[in-house]
Amino acid sequence: MAATPGSEARAGLKLISPTAIYVILLLAVPLATVLIYSVMTGGRGNVSLPLTIENYTELASKSVYGYILLKSLLVALTVTAITVLLAYPVAYFVSFHVKPERKSLWLFLITIPFWTSYIIRVSLWFVILGYGGIVDSALASIGLPPLNIASYSILSIIIVLAHAYAPFAVLPIFVSLEKVDRSLLEAGQDLGESRWVTFLRVTLPLSMPGVIAAALIVFIPTVGDYVTPELVGDGKEPMIANLIETQLLKLQNFPQGSAFAVVSMLMVGIVSVVFVLWNRRYIGGSK
Amino acid sequence: MTFSDDRPTMIEFKDVHKYYGDYHALRGINGTIKAGEFFSLLGPSGCGKTTLLRTIAGFEDISSGVIMIDGKDMANVAANVRPTNMVFQSYAIFPHMSVEENVGFGLRKDPRSKEEKAKAVAEALEMVGLKGYGKRAAHALSGGQRQRVALARALILKPKVLLLDEPLSALDKKMREHMQVELIKLQRQVGITFILVTHDQEEALVMSDRIAVMFEGEIAQLADPETLYRRPATRKVADFIGTMNFIPAEILTEAGDKVEVNAKGLGHVALDIAQAPEKTGESPVVGLRPETLTLLYDDQKAPERETDGVIDEVIYFGDMTYYDVYLGGTDVEVRLSMRNVPGRPVLDVGTKVRVAWSPSALVLFR
Repeated sequence: MAATPGSEARAGLKLISPTAIYVILLLAVPLATVLIYSVMTGGRGNVSLPLTIENYTELASKSVYGYILLKSLLVALTVTAITVLLAYPVAYFVSFHVKPERKSLWLFLITIPFWTSYIIRVSLWFVILGYGGIVDSALASIGLPPLNIASYSILSIIIVLAHAYAPFAVLPIFVSLEKVDRSLLEAGQDLGESRWVTFLRVTLPLSMPGVIAAALIVFIPTVGDYVTPELVGDGKEPMIANLIETQLLKLQNFPQGSAFAVVSMLMVGIVSVVFVLWNRRYIGGSK
Repeated sequence: MTFSDDRPTMIEFKDVHKYYGDYHALRGINGTIKAGEFFSLLGPSGCGKTTLLRTIAGFEDISSGVIMIDGKDMANVAANVRPTNMVFQSYAIFPHMSVEENVGFGLRKDPRSKEEKAKAVAEALEMVGLKGYGKRAAHALSGGQRQRVALARALILKPKVLLLDEPLSALDKKMREHMQVELIKLQRQVGITFILVTHDQEEALVMSDRIAVMFEGEIAQLADPETLYRRPATRKVADFIGTMNFIPAEILTEAGDKVEVNAKGLGHVALDIAQAPEKTGESPVVGLRPETLTLLYDDQKAPERETDGVIDEVIYFGDMTYYDVYLGGTDVEVRLSMRNVPGRPVLDVGTKVRVAWSPSALVLFR
């Protein structure tokens, strides 16, 4: 029965090989391709040697690229902030004020927007925000001029994204709030603090891991969102993903597009690391 | 043991009722808790003892009645401004804070300087035997240490009343016995009124000046431990506190301060009226604690009364042996306990014995 460490390791490798192949083919290989392409010489529709950093210097040389990168970052951060701020009270309400047996129903209801296609939800936002839409008619009925929010591309992008990602933010915050021992809140009040101060000193810090997880879950996909700027902003306010799409698909400059992709990944990576480090402060409570 | 008579009143309950929907959790609680007293609420789970404690803390509203703390009506006084602090059953230590942050939690609004507060925290930690633990992360503490932190955190605020919700139930037996003694010492040292909720009768007897025994939302008896043990007010209380033998009896005469009964296996006994608590309408029984019965040596004479018996069961405990004995040729079986002193053999099942007992140790429930 003595399985040598070698045979055990081989058996282990065999067991994980389907997963490993899946990860290598679908994650590692494409990622490596993008990294390698980004330092190769590009022409229309072809990729060739020599290796070069020209794609990156091109990116740095034109301020429009920097502007788009910064804009994507700011839009994503704004969407993240708004989404988390709006999701927190919802999660708090479900966790603290909904009867235990009703909680799963509430969470289920929160996911209802996902039942329709994203494209349809975006189009519906036009009905709400557009010229003569619901917002404008409401304003008109009380004698105010129309806002035509849909014409402000960035604002509309933020509104649509914040709505789209809200359920993703509610769930991790809800989970972290569920884990807060209720006797801690009584202890906070017992030690002389009001409900509000107890929330600030106990509930909020203890739910921070959920808040940070929510922020990451919202931030990462919104930085790279392609559909929303295309549909909502009519492509007038391109974000990183639209820039990459132009390079890769329209101009077929694969190395240049890859360089944008790498920079975008770096950006997301840096922000995520900041979030994760911030989270460390709260996980385990060690100081 | 008449500790509490001349002390000023700290807490007073006047006909306190609490309903959860249709469920009547507290059914007319009356009584007082004296200043500086170590008071226990004792009862089986679901008897309302924790609910009563939480109404004192202000975590539960009462449906009717009055709770006064130090002469002030606590209606409409929120938990965070009551002069009480609680040690929670789960200890409720803030996991995201260090030990000293936990202990200093309630000092935020304290006008003292930072240094003075730090000193107070250090002193509180020293008092509970956690000197030098201030910088530790709270989540890295053992159960016993958490409990000490919870104590320090509550006592640092110098409450008028410290509420303890089954604080020892999560500890192992050795630790629990150790903490019982420490809590008693601590209570004497700080002089604060302690109210302990427990389902462990032994713990209540060991620690308390007075005990309220609760069943089904009512206080069945409020007395000092000795009275509670020796003169339980009802059969239920007697059964809950320690072990008691119940022997069917017949009331023969009741005149003045004497009650004469015929107890099965014991015969005619004249009891003082003090040994017969108020009537509850049960069929009459007399109660006898195991340690008030003694097996006599062959040539030994009983100081008061004796009855023949046959040993039915022997339970050996090391320092003690419990015997189940049939009394006087009847089917009445009593349990008695004998200390295993040198020279006293452990007897076998079936041995014929003589059992000595004292009429004054009897309690009559009727």
